[in-house]
Amino acid sequence: MNARPRVTAAAGIFLLVFFVASGVREARAQETRQPSLTPDAPTAAGPEKPAAPRPAKERMAVYVLLAWVWLSIGVLLGLLRLRVREADRVFRMGLERPAEKTPKNRVTDG
Amino acid sequence: MNTLRAWVEERLGLSTVTRYLEKKEVPRHKHTFLYYTGSSIFLFLGIQIVTGVLLAFYYRPTLAEAHASIVRIMTEVPLGWLVRSVHSWSATFMIALVFVHLLGIALTKAYRQPREATWITGALLLGLSLSFGFTGYLLPWDELSLAATKVGTDLPKALPLVGGWITRVMRAGEDVTGDTLSRFFTVHVSVLPLALLALLGVHLLLVQRHGMSVPLEEERKGAKGPFLPFWPNFAFREAGVWLVLAGLLMTTAVLAAPGVGLKADLMAPAPAGIQPEWYFLFLFQTLKLIPAKVLGLNGELAAIVIIMAGMAAFLLLPFIDDRPFERKGQIITGLAWAALAYAVGMSIWSLL
Amino acid sequence: MKLPYSLFSRRAFLNGLIGGWLAALGAAFINPFVKYIVPPTREPDQVSVPLTELKALAAGQVHGFAWGNKPGLLKKAADGSYIAFVGVCTHLDCNVTYVTEQKRFYCACHEGWYDENGINIAGPPPSPLRRLAVSVEGDALIIRKQV
Repeated sequence: MNARPRVTAAAGIFLLVFFVASGVREARAQETRQPSLTPDAPTAAGPEKPAAPRPAKERMAVYVLLAWVWLSIGVLLGLLRLRVREADRVFRMGLERPAEKTPKNRVTDG
Repeated sequence: MNTLRAWVEERLGLSTVTRYLEKKEVPRHKHTFLYYTGSSIFLFLGIQIVTGVLLAFYYRPTLAEAHASIVRIMTEVPLGWLVRSVHSWSATFMIALVFVHLLGIALTKAYRQPREATWITGALLLGLSLSFGFTGYLLPWDELSLAATKVGTDLPKALPLVGGWITRVMRAGEDVTGDTLSRFFTVHVSVLPLALLALLGVHLLLVQRHGMSVPLEEERKGAKGPFLPFWPNFAFREAGVWLVLAGLLMTTAVLAAPGVGLKADLMAPAPAGIQPEWYFLFLFQTLKLIPAKVLGLNGELAAIVIIMAGMAAFLLLPFIDDRPFERKGQIITGLAWAALAYAVGMSIWSLL
Repeated sequence: MKLPYSLFSRRAFLNGLIGGWLAALGAAFINPFVKYIVPPTREPDQVSVPLTELKALAAGQVHGFAWGNKPGLLKKAADGSYIAFVGVCTHLDCNVTYVTEQKRFYCACHEGWYDENGINIAGPPPSPLRRLAVSVEGDALIIRKQV
């Protein structure tokens, strides 16, 4: 590989490091607080209105719903696992053997 | 039942689709799990659309009522807090998955020929997703979102010639006002969804056209490797992944529901501790680091130029990385890891 | 009784179970979904109208007040007592008005008429105007749902 890509990459990395390094000093300067200028009271973002269920009945209902969701996920994952195994089994059967005239697993009469 | 199926088939001819899905093959190898990332994004997109429509039933996109309508949704509308929480968390999950999807593609070089166009549509989709996040963040019209929007819409000003104009278009004027809110709302619920669906359609068509890309080792083996039919084998596995993701989303939404801050005051000073959403933190920190003057240029302009160069490189990566598995490609992989480390490091730094 | 062969294939059986349980999971979300789309808009338990507002009201005249989101109509009878209606037409929900000269309530949407006691007398309205209970308490008139 010739030198040009290497030189470009090196130059790029050098520039990047230079910018970040020069910025770090600046950032330090900007981030030190100027005590005389910061106002006292209205700096903190105001009190947040809470979310989450407040009335007790609604709270219970949501937790019950969540429990039902996880229970269902568990059951469905189990069923899906069975279904995937079935699909994989069928897939393996279908492609490995060429189609036969009389399929083996067919139930005969009587 | 069968007559119904025959009736539908005669009129819609959907069997072409079902047969295609049964024939579509998903390669099996040690990176097959990465194939789940794309459809998982789609799951969260669907959740966003549903919860977004539900929120829009009660949200009022005007300066006078926006904040109050959010408070109403959270306190008066039955389970409104949960719908809003799901919408907010699903945005985070979706964008996180977009980044995982992107990383997987970049590191396996799945963008190599002939999938360059798929990468480009994907990069544009990333831009759209981030735009969704940016426009949605203003809608509650609280102190933090107003401040974040002021900063975000101020950034283009640094660009020469068009910068001021771009800012004025975004803000519907010189300053952030009620008009900005209406504009952001319309973009968020109408313009972006249409653009996203159109672009996503193209992206998916391209993916089907080219099939799933395999890692280099598999390609080198020559013969077709082991695979799974998409339907039903891969699809049912995918359903399991979706279920777990949906469960995690709902649990997070219930246990960590967001609140809403004080109503925005256009005249008040910016509150302390403003920060954008987590996916913009690394950009935020980068901007903080750039000194006021860089080599004689305006610092902000230099920063914007660097960032735009980065975006251009990102968009055109398949063309830059035209020899993905030679030395050049390895250097680019190294740079990609470095970029990831940079983004993560900067994000963490901005939180300290 | 032993069957010679199974009624369902393993595939169909599992598909049915999965589909069924998924439906049950979905069903748990129907109630919250419906409650969200149609939040309860309760009518107020009572509304109070200060008597000062009614000083100018002569007998046979009607004073409007807000009954939740609906218009309420308060009519002063000849003997000085009050009678209150929900001013919403029983036909298709339009707001009615009181035509003082005719001593009748009129609904402009489909030309429905009610007499001074709210009984439907002409046009499509199928039933009288809904009455509300009125009582004087202190210096205000209290209007409640009629039991």
